[in-house]
Amino acid sequence: MRSPQGDVSLIGVRKTFGATVAVNNVDLDIPNAAVFSLLGPSGCGKTTTLRLIAGFEQPSAGDVFIREKRVTNVPPYKRDFSMVFQSYALFPHLTVADNVGFGLRMRKVGRTERDKAVREALSLVKLDALAERYPRQLSGGQQQRVALARAIVVKPAVLLLDEPLGALDKLLREEMQVELRDLQRRLGITAVFVTHDQEEALTISDVVAVMRNGVIEQLGPPREIYERPRTEFVAGFLGASNFVDGEVAGREGENAVVMASGRRLLQSDPSGAASGKVRIAVRPERVLLAAPGGDGIPGHVTHVIYRGSVTQFHVAGETGAVIIYVQNSSPEAQRFKTGDAVTYSWEAASGVVLAQGGA
Amino acid sequence: MRGVTPARLWSFGLVAPPLVVALLFFLGPLIYLFYVSLHEASSTELYGARFTLANYAAVFSDPFYFLIIKRTLATASWILALSLLIGYPVAYVIARLPPAKRMLVMLLLLFPLMVSNVVRAYGWVAILGRRGVINTTLGDLGLVDAPLSLLYSTQAIVIGLLTILLPYMVISIANTLASMDTRYQEAAQSLGAGPVRTFVHVTLPLSAPGVTSGLLLVFLLTLSAYVTITLIGGPRTKLLVSLIYDNVVGFQWPQAAALAFVLLALALVVTALILAIMRPGRVQGSGR
Amino acid sequence: MSSPWSLPARIVRGIVVALAFLVILAPIVVVIIAAFSPTDFFKFPPPSFSLRWFYEFFRLENMRSAFLFSMQLALGAATFGALLGTLAAVFVAKRRGFVNGLLQALFMAPLVFPTIILGFALLLFYKTVNMPLTPGLLIAHAVIGMPYCFRTVLASLQSLDPAIEEAGQSLGAGPLRTLALVTMPLIWPAVLTGWLFAFVVSFGELNTALFLTGPGATTLPIEIFSYLQFQGSQLVIAAASTLQVGLIILIVFGVQQVVGLRRIVSR
Repeated sequence: MRSPQGDVSLIGVRKTFGATVAVNNVDLDIPNAAVFSLLGPSGCGKTTTLRLIAGFEQPSAGDVFIREKRVTNVPPYKRDFSMVFQSYALFPHLTVADNVGFGLRMRKVGRTERDKAVREALSLVKLDALAERYPRQLSGGQQQRVALARAIVVKPAVLLLDEPLGALDKLLREEMQVELRDLQRRLGITAVFVTHDQEEALTISDVVAVMRNGVIEQLGPPREIYERPRTEFVAGFLGASNFVDGEVAGREGENAVVMASGRRLLQSDPSGAASGKVRIAVRPERVLLAAPGGDGIPGHVTHVIYRGSVTQFHVAGETGAVIIYVQNSSPEAQRFKTGDAVTYSWEAASGVVLAQGGA
Repeated sequence: MRGVTPARLWSFGLVAPPLVVALLFFLGPLIYLFYVSLHEASSTELYGARFTLANYAAVFSDPFYFLIIKRTLATASWILALSLLIGYPVAYVIARLPPAKRMLVMLLLLFPLMVSNVVRAYGWVAILGRRGVINTTLGDLGLVDAPLSLLYSTQAIVIGLLTILLPYMVISIANTLASMDTRYQEAAQSLGAGPVRTFVHVTLPLSAPGVTSGLLLVFLLTLSAYVTITLIGGPRTKLLVSLIYDNVVGFQWPQAAALAFVLLALALVVTALILAIMRPGRVQGSGR
Repeated sequence: MSSPWSLPARIVRGIVVALAFLVILAPIVVVIIAAFSPTDFFKFPPPSFSLRWFYEFFRLENMRSAFLFSMQLALGAATFGALLGTLAAVFVAKRRGFVNGLLQALFMAPLVFPTIILGFALLLFYKTVNMPLTPGLLIAHAVIGMPYCFRTVLASLQSLDPAIEEAGQSLGAGPLRTLALVTMPLIWPAVLTGWLFAFVVSFGELNTALFLTGPGATTLPIEIFSYLQFQGSQLVIAAASTLQVGLIILIVFGVQQVVGLRRIVSR
């Protein structure tokens, strides 16, 4: 068995609720001072994983480590973590200052030291002026900051965040993402962040783990997860993706030659691993749209949807239905209408060969 | 095994006191009571040593007991029917009051329930008795020569218990109606149902949980309202609960115990009947 | 909402409602009026106002001691019952499953159980184990009062955000400290409301006390009842009843000041 590394490690952790397997044999080390996101649809096991780290759930098998210490059978209140809850869970009967000071009080920190730490934490989240208010007198965003201050003031080994921005509206959420990220960097705190919002995960994380059915499908930095998804699920969950089925027919330098619907496509494949039947994923913004005549794949436009920064074209082509984003800053965006004949293509490096059988 | 953690042990310690009290002073004595009901009476002990079913056989063979059971059920049926008939419209009106006013009216209903039944039964005696408000007023007006005999009948019991228990019915139904999402009614009206059909097809079925709990409360409290029945019904108008009391006071404890279980069986059967008719479960839970 | 009722229907409706409130409240009102009448027998309307029957009440040793005993009993039984009900609710609130359902049914059962049968069963049990009167009655009333507190506290706990207790634990508070510092401050109004109902129920309880009272340990309702049965309806009963009502108004008012009226009405 491997030994745990870093602030948080899970080794062979499995959690079942009756007959359903919520978390299936998860093995991971969370890098120190990083934001680690657990991303996935509801029911994928991300929240259960977080609660296993916190100790609110007991693993059915495997072990949880915090700072390389086995805590599998340690109750939550004796573990070195703190948590920001989705509902914030601020104590309604305590003032903002008392909420923030609660964890220090539990740790038997003296009054003066505690007051000082509370003041500092509140100024970090820019709430110095509201210390004597009660949670119900605060706005949603302010409550969120109090919850954050309450969690960081105890200087935990790991900060757990369970969809902490889920209750905020879009604008405030984006603002808080940046603030949260900033604060985490400054404090150098290790954070585990649960979210179902792929954009949020990409924005905020150093490492993203995409979960599905209790298993981590792919783990890596945001760019890698987005640009080089390994499975159809990961490709589809992180934004829209086009899929093309084909068969490897030969090689041409760094590229594999893929035959799809009788068309010859080039697919970047420097390792030469691709062979046989393959499925290729291409992001909509990577597909180029052009007038008929070039050497692109012919098709015709079925829908045109204006989406603010981009226009979304649906094209029925030889390789199947394809979604294409064209930046509205480009004149191309207004060139084609529903029913127009078009061609489309993408560069060899834009496609990603997906793992077989995984999806 | 990861089952027994200190936190778990601690929480079992939490439930121990109420559990011990509930078992030792509620469930235990009832089981003991049942055990006693299967024994002979004794003149020296609380109950005799010999096992017997005679106490139950007596209830089912004696026409007197049969008459009392019939009277008990008839009285209870009247009370149930009248309390529903009066309680529902009253609850309907209350549920539609603005919240502040509704709370005041609900308090007015809750308050009598807090007053001891002996006080409320005595109130009826003071109104209906030979020297009560009605008889003295009628006498003073010269409308009657001799005081009317208004107490001491099953009708008096029905009126007394009905008014004592009516608030339970009204509160139960009013709470259900008041917490009902008005969008259901709006949905029905948007689909073309008029006020009457909306009421019959939507409001009435949706209030089944409140009606059910009202019926159950009124029925169960009717069964055991010994003091009210005795004060208003007098010494001769006996219901099942009076027989239990008489047998206890007469030290026929095994017989009293058997009657107690007959009363419980009756309560269970009628409860099941009310649940089967009302089916409150069908509208409980999620509807949105 | 506009009323779909026509005018005649509204008049009928008004009469039904007024009549219902009349018959519900009339007995209590008559008793209170009677308590202040100066005459030997109740005349309606009473010719003048007098406190004669209240003096009479406090002159009667039995009545006076029953009133005091009832008060102490209700205080003790409500407190004991509230404690038990709260403990039970805290345990049951976070659990699911069959056993938990059974427990819940057990803790709620005394609420709907025919009290006279419980009284008889306890009498039998107490006689067998030689239980003294006062503690026996106290426990009986605590058993009856327990479900009221169990119910209000359970409802309050279930409306709490489950994350709030986890937040306490995540910040290092163990179960006991979480209960004391997080949960209790949030549910105490429910505890107090449950206590109020337990008090009121014990103070007016008749059918269990019927079998469990005795010399030196008689409650006011039982004293009133036996007086009515054996001494006829003297107006001192009206005074006793009025005192019963008065104390309840007082205690409801007191609790209401602390937890608010809404909580009591929509328990």
